[in-house]
Amino acid sequence: MIVADVGYVAWRELLKFFRAKTRLLVTVIQPLLWLGLMGNMMEGLVKNPFVERLLGTGSYLAFMTPGVLLMTVLFGGVFAGMSIVWDRRIGYLEKLLAAPISRAAIPLGKMMASAVQGGFQGLLILLIATGLGVRFATGFPGAIFALVVAMTFSLILSGFSLALAARIKSQETLMAVVNFFTMPLMFTSNALFPREAMPGWLATLAQMNPVTHAVTPIRQILLFGWDWGAIWVSLLVIGGLAILMMFVAAQSFLRTTVE
Amino acid sequence: MEAVCVENLVKIYHGGIRAVDGVSFAIDEREIFGFLGPNGAGKSTTIKCIVGLLRPTNGTIRILGVDVGKDPGVAKRSIGYAAQETAVDDHLTGWENLYLQGRFYHLSQEEIRKRGEEVLRLFGLWERRNDLAQTYSGGMLKRLDIACALIHRPRILFLDEPTLGLDVQTRTAIWEYIRKLREEHGMTIFLTTHYMEEADELCDRVAIIDQGKILALDKPGALKAALGGDLITLKFVSTDERLPALLSAIQALPGVRNLRSSPDGIHWIWVEQRGDRLIPELVQLALAHGIQVDSVRLKRPTLDDVYLHYTGREIREAEVSREEHVRARILQRRVRR
Ligand SMILES: Nc1ncnc2c1ncn2[C@@H]1O[C@H](COP(=O)(O)OP(=O)(O)O)[C@@H](O)[C@H]1O
Ligand SMILES: [Mg+2]
Repeated sequence: MIVADVGYVAWRELLKFFRAKTRLLVTVIQPLLWLGLMGNMMEGLVKNPFVERLLGTGSYLAFMTPGVLLMTVLFGGVFAGMSIVWDRRIGYLEKLLAAPISRAAIPLGKMMASAVQGGFQGLLILLIATGLGVRFATGFPGAIFALVVAMTFSLILSGFSLALAARIKSQETLMAVVNFFTMPLMFTSNALFPREAMPGWLATLAQMNPVTHAVTPIRQILLFGWDWGAIWVSLLVIGGLAILMMFVAAQSFLRTTVE
Repeated sequence: MEAVCVENLVKIYHGGIRAVDGVSFAIDEREIFGFLGPNGAGKSTTIKCIVGLLRPTNGTIRILGVDVGKDPGVAKRSIGYAAQETAVDDHLTGWENLYLQGRFYHLSQEEIRKRGEEVLRLFGLWERRNDLAQTYSGGMLKRLDIACALIHRPRILFLDEPTLGLDVQTRTAIWEYIRKLREEHGMTIFLTTHYMEEADELCDRVAIIDQGKILALDKPGALKAALGGDLITLKFVSTDERLPALLSAIQALPGVRNLRSSPDGIHWIWVEQRGDRLIPELVQLALAHGIQVDSVRLKRPTLDDVYLHYTGREIREAEVSREEHVRARILQRRVRR
């Protein structure tokens, strides 16, 4: 029963996601700008053997593709929490809570929807990157793997924002709190900048940053090839965090009332 | 068995506000029961406690004999709830809203299709089912919201201010739907309102609630009668020696409490209730005594009088947070549309 409940909560979100044409357009244009502008801009800057060694590739575009992928998913996950604030405002949350569905299905459904949205946006990004000349060292299976990692990562973020939204009732406060975490998460990771080139303290921070753990395996299989020895720790961290966040989000809705 | 039984319900919010303060009542099956009270009286809080959205601070609630606190799942399936705020998703069509609601109550595809068409036709929304709800008027949204609450055929329906902010025609239409639900489906209906006419028109029994307490609970007629009943003013065309006999005959009629006459031939008759039903009888009686009636006037105490009698006249503004303010504005915009 809970599977069906989760499914219908997710279905509602996805129906609205794919219906909002403007928002869809933005999700396409944004990565296009990131990859097209920033990727090309940096291209000249990185054309020297020293930087190439740090990046592990001569193409900054290929280096930053996993970063842009994760960044998009990261900011997309925030919307899951916002949708709860909105549902609370229009009274829909009350409707869900009054229905005989499992309460855990509310955050879990929204997390699933967020993961599917993340996968869809990720697919667009990979298509754009391919159009710009980026090739996976591991080919098509590598691209699928990248999307699965990105979707798993989106569960962490959406779960986090949902757990917060179970308590935070105002849109502005939730936005502020979530941004307080997402911005530093982004910039203390190796998403756009190689960890090898960071000062020691930042490299240590980056080492603990979940974004890094999501970027590392994708970058590995994009630039070099399958090397499970190099990525299993990161996969474990991401998978473990995703499961943890599912529990945290579910738990925070078990006790929530409309008070 | 009573459909709903509430005993000594108390709800104190986190901030310390005593929104419901020891409320007890019971609703019979097939009854239309109303909560009448000003804003902030504790009507919505009571409903939310009953439908399981708020945890009561104290007291017990039984729905069809089942304790809600102990077994919330069973109660949820036998009740439908349409909140004061119209909880329709604007970005979905009417049908999608209804379909999801059916799925959340674990109905099958066929059940949703069949009952969905039934309720949408009942509420006059069938033709517009594939339009996005954001194109609906306030009245249509409210009807859709009530339709959603009906999709799983609840035995008890909770309507929190079902006609708030709606125009007169829509309001009358919703009254019609509510009556139909009781007549055709034997549904028990609990509604809250701060419109006197609504409680008077619709409810079998009314509880007047203010500051979290029930101040009076009875049939609308009885509540009005308690304030002194109807007053009939009577004038005859001409009077003669037969008048005293007529007056004493009138005084002997059932329900007549008091009769007074002025020297210039006006007679006041106080009646317990339903003075309108007594008028034909009065006229007949007068004719039987050979006296012609010149004019009759009836003044009934309205539920307004009752309401003001119990709650006082002053308007109370409840304190609301900023978020609640934003919410109220959004909802008002939707209702006005
Ligand atoms: N979530 C809440 N937190 C704190 N106080 C509340 C909350 N909801 C309502 N109240 C307060 O409880 C009282 C009763 O409110 P409510 O039940 O909504 O009244 P009504 O529905 O009769 O207008 C009011 O004083 C209101 O301000
Ligand atoms: Mg209310």
